[in-house]
Amino acid sequence: MVLLDNSSFIISLEKLATQARNDSSFTITFKRFDGHNKPTPREGRPPLPTPEEYMCLVRAQMKSKKISTVVKQEDVPKMMVMYAQFMKSNMDGLKRVKKVKSKAKAAKG
Amino acid sequence: MVFVKDWEDFEIAAEAMYMQNPKTCRYSMKYIHSKGAVLLKVTDNVKCIQYKAEIMPDLKKIEKFTGNLMGHMASRE
Repeated sequence: MVLLDNSSFIISLEKLATQARNDSSFTITFKRFDGHNKPTPREGRPPLPTPEEYMCLVRAQMKSKKISTVVKQEDVPKMMVMYAQFMKSNMDGLKRVKKVKSKAKAAKG
Repeated sequence: MVFVKDWEDFEIAAEAMYMQNPKTCRYSMKYIHSKGAVLLKVTDNVKCIQYKAEIMPDLKKIEKFTGNLMGHMASRE
């Protein structure tokens, strides 16, 4: 698992997506992240401090390659724009639906 | 493991699940280019709902939904 910053995550994600294009698939997972990277202590031990703010952990997997990034609250809009761009350019294998209007026109002409 | 047929139902159920159990709830999407499909899955280790998107307009909805959820996840609550 490689932890990357947001923009290099998207760049690596694009690489993975290109590799997965022909005969494979890739998975992206979103989860809330509280900033702790150790397990919750057992009973009787002091609990981990409550985080002031939560972050979003994004993980991606293609075959055995795994990458991840942490998105902070202030980075969400920026990340979303990049991610939307990524989805548009890489998830383009879906069926296109013709609009009803153009169909009606085609039937007329 | 239920595939929800209607997008609105999926969206509502997914957000409700996250609000109920934000600590363990996770959202994942799988894109299979050869099949032209995006599989969405939301689970909190107890319940699990899925949605299969195969047409272009769904992608726009997914984009919006993902943004919403990311906003929920990275917040001060």
